[in-house]
Amino acid sequence: MTRRLLTAVSAVALLVGLLAFRPAASVTAADSAPAITLDPGKAGPRELEEQTQRSIVRDYGRAWNTLQAALDGNDDELLQQYFVGVAKDKLAQAVAEQRKSGLRLHYQPRGHALQVLFYSPEGSAIEARDTAELEIQVLDGGKVVHRERLTQPYLVLFTPAEDRWKVRLLEPLPK
Amino acid sequence: MIRRVVFVLVVLAMCWFAEDAAAAGIKPPASPVAGQGMSLETSGSGSATFYLVGPATRLKRSIHLGEPIRLQPREVAAAGRYTAIVDGDGGTSVSFYVAPGKPAELSFLARPSRVPAATQHGISGVVFPFDRDQNLVLEPLPVRFELTVAGGAPESRTVETRHGVAYIILDSGRKEGAAQFVATVGDVTARRVVRQVAADPCDLHFQAERAKDGILVRTAPVRDCSGNPVPDGTIVSFVQVGPHGKDTVDARVKRGVAQATLPANVPSTISVASGVVSGNEVHMGGGQ
Repeated sequence: MTRRLLTAVSAVALLVGLLAFRPAASVTAADSAPAITLDPGKAGPRELEEQTQRSIVRDYGRAWNTLQAALDGNDDELLQQYFVGVAKDKLAQAVAEQRKSGLRLHYQPRGHALQVLFYSPEGSAIEARDTAELEIQVLDGGKVVHRERLTQPYLVLFTPAEDRWKVRLLEPLPK
Repeated sequence: MIRRVVFVLVVLAMCWFAEDAAAAGIKPPASPVAGQGMSLETSGSGSATFYLVGPATRLKRSIHLGEPIRLQPREVAAAGRYTAIVDGDGGTSVSFYVAPGKPAELSFLARPSRVPAATQHGISGVVFPFDRDQNLVLEPLPVRFELTVAGGAPESRTVETRHGVAYIILDSGRKEGAAQFVATVGDVTARRVVRQVAADPCDLHFQAERAKDGILVRTAPVRDCSGNPVPDGTIVSFVQVGPHGKDTVDARVKRGVAQATLPANVPSTISVASGVVSGNEVHMGGGQ
């Protein structure tokens, strides 16, 4: 009887421990990147090294996951992990407006096709066009007021930070 | 018969009003520009909720259908895709693109901050033109780049932006000094300073003479290949080789020249070098 009781208490303690130490939402988001392809064909004037290509794909995926998490949770603090400058400021403003209006934009990216347009001579800026396949929902409180699946091109500017490429500009383009 | 006519009229009336109720519509502005106020036309009647979602906008407002919806400049300051939604009376939505405004600010990356004189492809400049609301201006724009050192002829070129960026790669000038690197788009200008410094020493030359406590070696004024004096502190190495072995003495350039005293070992051969550049040799024999 005592052994059974001890086993039950241990199981509950283990479950509580697992719940308490589960990974933070942002880490999870950063590790499940949407499908991204990169075409370096038109890069220049600097050659885009393979290692940099891999870093861009990795970091852009994590940037979108961070963006989703920030918009879903109205948490602009997350943005600084992968956004900087103009992109961070505008997305932070979007989050602030979500808080104020009660509206929420939910992105579900289906894929990104990056085409590198420019890599600066000294290596401090990469510009790319992203053709994003997205599913978006606009929610007013819990009510979905708009739902759409679309192909949206973006102009993206990356700049290097300590250990990653951050998004400095994420400007939607006309189709 | 009358009953049939009344029935048809009632059905027609229902269709009429049903059509009216479903007529909630919204029309985007023609060629909207970021940071400028604009209006969206609506059709239909009654009250509805209007939503606007843009790159940095989340707007919710009660409206009367049939009346225009006025948007303030700050509500459409970010360029990009906007979705306007009318919820109620049939509901409808429309998407439209807001273009960036005119260039008001240049993001100008000039590299490096210090460059040796007369270096081929030594300086690069990259310009991104932004409007006053920090939207990248995508229409092709001519960017004039100009690099000038006091007393030297300016070098200028015009490059058109493509995908919102223009760049240039230039050789550094032959004269040392602070080069003004200027980029201009229309009446918007950005300035950076690129310090052109003397390059590696060129044509090193020194003389040697016996002194009381050894051999005194002294260079001629140390200059780069364009004639610019190398900065004080540049290391110059004197190497003495003879039957006694090999001695190396490093000296720093001070007021344009480097000098040192070597051991009075003769016979010996003394040479001079700085970085990867070597100079003349002097042979010191028993009688010299």
